[in-house]
Amino acid sequence: MYKYIFKRIYQLVIVFFLFLVTSYILFDSIPGNAFQNMLLNPLLPPGAYEQVLALYGLDKPLSERIVLYITNFFKGDFGYSYKYYPKTPIELIAERLPRTLMLFAMVNIVSFYTGFLVGKILAWRRGSKSETWITITSVFSYTVFYPWFALMMLWFFGYKMDWLPIGKFLYPEKWYDAPFDSDVIFTLMIKFTVIVSIIQFLIYMFTRNIESLNSKRNLRFFGFILNIVGSFIFWNTGDALTKKIYAMDIAYHMILPVITVTIVAFAGTALLTRTTMMEVLKDDYILTARAKGLSQRRIRDRHAARNALLPVVTSFIFTIVTIIDGSVLTETIFSWPGMGQLILDSVLNEDIPVAMATFSFIGVFALVAHFIADISYAYLDPRIRIQSQG
Amino acid sequence: MDNLKNEKEIAKSLRRKAISKNWKLFKQSRLGMVGLIIVFFFFILSILQPILFLTGIWDQGTYNPVVGYVDQTQDFLVVECPKEFPTEKYEKRTDCPGRNEVNIKTLFYSDGEVGETIQLNLQPAPPSRDHILGTDSLGRDVFSQIMEGSQVAFLLGILSATLGVGISTLLGTIAAFFGGRVDAYLMRQSDLVLMLPTLPLLFIISAFAELKIWHLAVVLGTIGGLGGSVITIKSQALQVKVKPFVDSARITGGSNMKILFSHVLPNVAPLALLFMVFSVTGAIASESVLSFLGLLNIEMSWGLMIYLAQVEGYIFSGLKFWWLILPAGLSVTFLTGGFYLVGRGLDEVFNPRLRKR
Repeated sequence: MYKYIFKRIYQLVIVFFLFLVTSYILFDSIPGNAFQNMLLNPLLPPGAYEQVLALYGLDKPLSERIVLYITNFFKGDFGYSYKYYPKTPIELIAERLPRTLMLFAMVNIVSFYTGFLVGKILAWRRGSKSETWITITSVFSYTVFYPWFALMMLWFFGYKMDWLPIGKFLYPEKWYDAPFDSDVIFTLMIKFTVIVSIIQFLIYMFTRNIESLNSKRNLRFFGFILNIVGSFIFWNTGDALTKKIYAMDIAYHMILPVITVTIVAFAGTALLTRTTMMEVLKDDYILTARAKGLSQRRIRDRHAARNALLPVVTSFIFTIVTIIDGSVLTETIFSWPGMGQLILDSVLNEDIPVAMATFSFIGVFALVAHFIADISYAYLDPRIRIQSQG
Repeated sequence: MDNLKNEKEIAKSLRRKAISKNWKLFKQSRLGMVGLIIVFFFFILSILQPILFLTGIWDQGTYNPVVGYVDQTQDFLVVECPKEFPTEKYEKRTDCPGRNEVNIKTLFYSDGEVGETIQLNLQPAPPSRDHILGTDSLGRDVFSQIMEGSQVAFLLGILSATLGVGISTLLGTIAAFFGGRVDAYLMRQSDLVLMLPTLPLLFIISAFAELKIWHLAVVLGTIGGLGGSVITIKSQALQVKVKPFVDSARITGGSNMKILFSHVLPNVAPLALLFMVFSVTGAIASESVLSFLGLLNIEMSWGLMIYLAQVEGYIFSGLKFWWLILPAGLSVTFLTGGFYLVGRGLDEVFNPRLRKR
């Protein structure tokens, strides 16, 4: 086992090295460079352009630059952004990442929870008329052409009805004389959300083993109400009261993207749960449970749904890995200043240090996730373990 | 000699029987049939356009999806919009100019005056008998564009899906069959491809290469084929590899290649077909996203139609210009949805545990 892990780590390092080289070559092969806009200026003194290129080291040959970049990378030096000069890529990522994570973590948790509930019921009511229609609707929202759908949502809720803002992170006019930085408020919001969800999760875990389904549901509902009352008290007392209006402004801007992505993402989970649950329902122990005379709801929730949960959890983990990649389109359409926009911006402007840093961030994220998945599969599935030894 | 011929005939009839049995199973899934009907509808649309052009029912000058143009004029009443609202005639700023009216401030060179009636070009024109779905802002027929778009979607989807699934099936089976170093290399390769974020990668590629449909199909097929599907197909092939018939083939002296191509591959094929149907969906969606962002060198596609409607500002005009917004978006949605439903139906055919009984 240890030999297998060691071998995997060794391969991992090689893959990461290749990944860095590949991405650098890809960025370099985009025609032009980040400073070409300077040449449009007719008053540019002669030699200035070349001087800037030399300053950033862009006049060196490709191979030399790659070697330099990779040695600096492993020293922990990621360079400076070309576009936002005095900032380093790390600063930019630290600023943008929480916004993306907040938005998409919320979307994913909501959509996986509701998707699982809906999929469970869909598989249970197989063949009924309501099942067919709900399935068709979920297929529609799963395969809907996403940018078009997002634009239609923006048009309807933002323009026609004028209920919600059209994109952006906040209303600048509200923040002119704000005593706080928007990042301070946002950090507070993140802390608040994390604590509330942890409490909710704990309630869920503690009530998990209660035998009676009715009292379990009532207890959970009671805990949920308690949580809401608690957060209401938190936002109306002390320090948080002054920050409330600003936090409300950011939250108000989050509603539309969250709803839009949830509608699209929830359908995928519902359909996946439906399929796995249908497979599980064919198993013998379901028949046994029926023969024992257990109630329908108990069979559905305790025997079938628990076993259908496994693939859903796997897909949840892999979705978390692709959050940043998937955020590009959403953040472009809703002009949400997160990681997706940073990646797109840096790629289109050929801001190589930022682009490399974001790419390698995603790469490390994906590699570690795949590594963990592989190791756990090897741990669970003896076939793979035996092979790796042979 | 006679024996061999007989054997061939038996094999043929067996195959026919299997196909008709699978078709019967597929027909049981209602959603799969709905998907098949949708896909068939778009297929008819895509082959109808060349037929209409060839038979001369449609003339190229008017109905060509890219360069067609027809003069559509209409009488407009010239009015001057008031500065403050509401007035007697108009309630809100968006009500002026009303139907069949034109604001004098927006006329560039016409010598019409307030109260006169003048003839103006009506583009984008609403649906009429000549243009079933109206025309876009350049006077091109929207229905013809939808047909052209479905040709693009079919060509790209099927080409890239075939290529991608071909690559991933071959590599996945090889990785499972040979194991060891080959397996490690192929798995790390797909790790590498999975690490690169897809959409930014396509942006980069479209920046240094002029992507036409063929190129895009190859690029999408290769990225899809080297990525995650290799891992899934490998795990399926691993299950086939340990089945007894593979061992007995080896004992009777079959070579590696023979076992790989005539015993392992055919048993992985159903899963590969399933993957192919699902990856058609992905390819069509990727093409639409890329042309929606204006990054492709394609003359006409559904994504491009939405892109044009967006950059020309019609998307926020709401349902006033619905024929510019709805047909293209719904076409992408329905075709991908149709392929997805067909895939679901096939899933029920190949996976007995999913069947109703």
